[in-house]
Amino acid sequence: MQVLALLSDGFGAGGGIARYNQALMTAFGKCGSISGVTILPRFGVPTAPLPQGVAQQFPAAGKLVWAARAIASTAREKFDLVFCGHLNAVPLAAVIAKLNRVPLWVQVHGIEAWEPCGRMGRVGLEAATIVTSVSRYTRQRLLAWSDIPPERVRVLPNTFTANFAPRRRNTALAKRLGLGGRRIILTVGRLASSERYKGHDRIIAVLPMVLQHVADAAYLIVGTGDDRPRLEQLAAAHGLASIVKFAGEVPEAELPDHMAIADLFAMPSKGEGFGIVFLEAAVSGLPVIGGNGDGSRDALADGIIGRAVDPDDGAQLAEAMVAALQGRQDTRPDAVSRFAFGNFSRHVDELVRSLAR
Amino acid sequence: MCGINGIFAFHYASNPVDRGELIRTRDHMAVRGPDGAGAWLSEDGRVALGHRRLSIIDLTDAGAQPMASADGRLVVTFNGEIYNFRALREALETKGHVFASHSDTEVLLHLYASKGEAMVHDLRGMFTFAIWDSVRQVLFLARDPYGIKPLYYADDGWTFRFASQVKALLAGGGISRDPDPAGQTGFYLWGSVPEPFTTYEAIRALPAGCTLVVDRIGAHEPRRYHSIADVYRDADARAHQQGRRSAEDVRADVRAALVDSVRHHMVADVPVGAFLSAGIDSGALVGLMRDAGQQDVQTVTLAFEEFRGRSEDEAPLAASVARTYGTRHTTRVVTEGEFQSDLPRILEAMDQPTIDGINTWFVAKAARELGLKVAISGLGGDELFGGYPSFRDVPRWVRWLAIPSRVPGLGPFARRLAQPLGAVMGFNPKAMGLLEYGGRYSGAYLVRRGLFMPWELGQLLGPDVARRGLRRLAPLARVEAELPPPSSSAHAKVATLEAALYMRNQLLRDTDWASMAHALEVRVPLVDSALLQAVATAQGAAPAHVSKRLLAESPREPLPAAVRERAKTGFTTPIARWISDAQLGAQAGRQRLGPKRVHWSRQWAECLAAS
Repeated sequence: MQVLALLSDGFGAGGGIARYNQALMTAFGKCGSISGVTILPRFGVPTAPLPQGVAQQFPAAGKLVWAARAIASTAREKFDLVFCGHLNAVPLAAVIAKLNRVPLWVQVHGIEAWEPCGRMGRVGLEAATIVTSVSRYTRQRLLAWSDIPPERVRVLPNTFTANFAPRRRNTALAKRLGLGGRRIILTVGRLASSERYKGHDRIIAVLPMVLQHVADAAYLIVGTGDDRPRLEQLAAAHGLASIVKFAGEVPEAELPDHMAIADLFAMPSKGEGFGIVFLEAAVSGLPVIGGNGDGSRDALADGIIGRAVDPDDGAQLAEAMVAALQGRQDTRPDAVSRFAFGNFSRHVDELVRSLAR
Repeated sequence: MCGINGIFAFHYASNPVDRGELIRTRDHMAVRGPDGAGAWLSEDGRVALGHRRLSIIDLTDAGAQPMASADGRLVVTFNGEIYNFRALREALETKGHVFASHSDTEVLLHLYASKGEAMVHDLRGMFTFAIWDSVRQVLFLARDPYGIKPLYYADDGWTFRFASQVKALLAGGGISRDPDPAGQTGFYLWGSVPEPFTTYEAIRALPAGCTLVVDRIGAHEPRRYHSIADVYRDADARAHQQGRRSAEDVRADVRAALVDSVRHHMVADVPVGAFLSAGIDSGALVGLMRDAGQQDVQTVTLAFEEFRGRSEDEAPLAASVARTYGTRHTTRVVTEGEFQSDLPRILEAMDQPTIDGINTWFVAKAARELGLKVAISGLGGDELFGGYPSFRDVPRWVRWLAIPSRVPGLGPFARRLAQPLGAVMGFNPKAMGLLEYGGRYSGAYLVRRGLFMPWELGQLLGPDVARRGLRRLAPLARVEAELPPPSSSAHAKVATLEAALYMRNQLLRDTDWASMAHALEVRVPLVDSALLQAVATAQGAAPAHVSKRLLAESPREPLPAAVRERAKTGFTTPIARWISDAQLGAQAGRQRLGPKRVHWSRQWAECLAAS
């Protein structure tokens, strides 16, 4: 089976969706029934050798060029499956799949699938042979507005890479950030003023309550974006400027070290499709706190891996953070092993085989 | 007849089964199975099955469920009855299968081991079951051809859950309660929620005559193994092959098939009683029970003070039928006071909103008071023998309106024109849609059976919910989907629609919840796939001779003439007045849809939706 994969972010691109796509394409490459995968990305130039059986064309950022190249690819080569990595590209992918009379596989991630898309997108989506959703929550939201049969929508959660593992605390890094000797709460995520759902501000707001019980607590924010000035002002307004630290954007290779200086990973988000950072934090051995009303519940395995709190309940959030910093959180970060790549890859193989049934 | 449930944590990311959830769901159905309870969990904690038992066949512990095969490969939880289980067992025994019990449940295990998923074709009865196949790591579920027994399921993408009741699934605590606009819309359109929808988005009904497989990637699309339309189509062909046959032969065939069905439906290790009304269906069945060899029959009839001395009172005629067949007969009087006092329990037991089922509640209650565990009902006679006005109206409307309804825009235009006038004059709102919908079988059937019409839904549900609901429900397409392969006979088309829609979604479902609330198993010999085949073939050969009259004359001792000649009234209760007196009725007094002369069922529907 030859696969044409229309991706927004391919190998060499950064971010959660890119990492998901890379894992999925690697898993495709391992499937016995797939002979080859051709990726047509909008973004990303590979910086390392690609997995076996996977080839990636040059990126085409412009939508029209990208679409034209996708159509041209199918004219040149015969594909047996069209994979569409983003809901926005579904109309194009559906047309290509229909013209070539091959199955269509659509991947949905998070917010983009929570509200109805345009008519073309809906028609394309409902023509899909299979839709994979990163979480149960995204699946539920998708099924609420689309009329695709529920049996065609499967959940394929995020997975994590081998980069993350419990490691020795890098005290030099903590000192450099001005947080030496403190118990650190960590959040990793974009600081976008257009989103503001990840809950940085909710953590800052309850920090004073946390400090009453954990006097040496501090908050480290990793990530960049245009919402940072507002959050800095918020911290200052609470008199917390000295213990709320902004590390800015951190290269992926340095993320494990930042995880290792933290004592707790908290992100009381309301807008996660899944939240791969929860997995990375849990794999790093941290207690984890997330929201209970979005895809985070999957990453936290309904409270087994980490604690799920109501993001709007400040007292609950503060109490959870205090308990975690005092070593009283009754969860099992090691239960995150279920999300290992081996399980992910086997599941992808089963899904591919289900197309033939 | 029991309550079944199960949980399968199929996805690698899901947590193992929560035993507490399994038991909460199972025990919410305690009333369906007061005689025992069982639970089974796989060693790896990924699969669990639950069962509440109402013992009817093999009353010993050997019949307890969930039941595992001797080699431990298969485990089953089963609700219902397999009427041909003895014949199946004999056939399996000749192939070397060794049985440990006398139950029909064990036959399912051996039949699956022998034939796999194709086993469903051999089963005659009312059933839902789930078999866990530990070698294939597959959960296999099936529901009987007509959908006599209910089965609901929810697949959230990680975990699959099923149960005999929607409310039991919710009681487990693991399922979202988000409403499904298709289920809400369907309820207002038909007066019951059409499968596969429920009023909850996360929960679906396994359609009648379907199987379902759940493996490591989750639930697959249900596969239909039986279709009523197929039976009629095949019967057409068979009748054609047989050529001309005498009326006498056709009658003899139907009579033999009726006796055969009744005989099968009497298989039990406890006494089998019967509901008896003044109608032909239940009376003929009581006569056929005697013909099939049951000497001692307990019958029960409902009566209402309000009807005493009026034509609606079924008690005198039912008593005369009872005398004809020498049954032990009881007439149970239901009062408005009892209705009012039972109403909270009725609403609690009502698994999905429905405008019917009250009669069955009281007659089942009466039967249980008499100590019965099993009762025969005449349900299905109207669908099989063309007893409803729809058999006359629908083909007639289609004939008259086929051409005008095709003129683009004419139907909706006429409706909009007539609506204000109709509202003032107090016409039935459904009449306004006749030109728009009446030219096709699906549309004419919607008008005939519909409770509210599509254009009224926006006012009831709000425009957004109505729009989303209608899109997902696609009511006309759903009706249309039951027809292929279309028979050439108008009777077959209407019979198919009545059996696959009204009887399935309303009558059979209501019979299930209303009888199981009293731990009474209701059996329906006129809802039987083997009987359907015989009657459909007879219909094809000699349509004029296959009617209610033939049913009435089928017992060796025919029904009394007064019963045969009585005009059809249906099994009525004074519910119209009762509900308007009830507290809920007062709520319905809002009369959002205007006319004061609104039919009681419309008021009742609004009450139920509000409650």
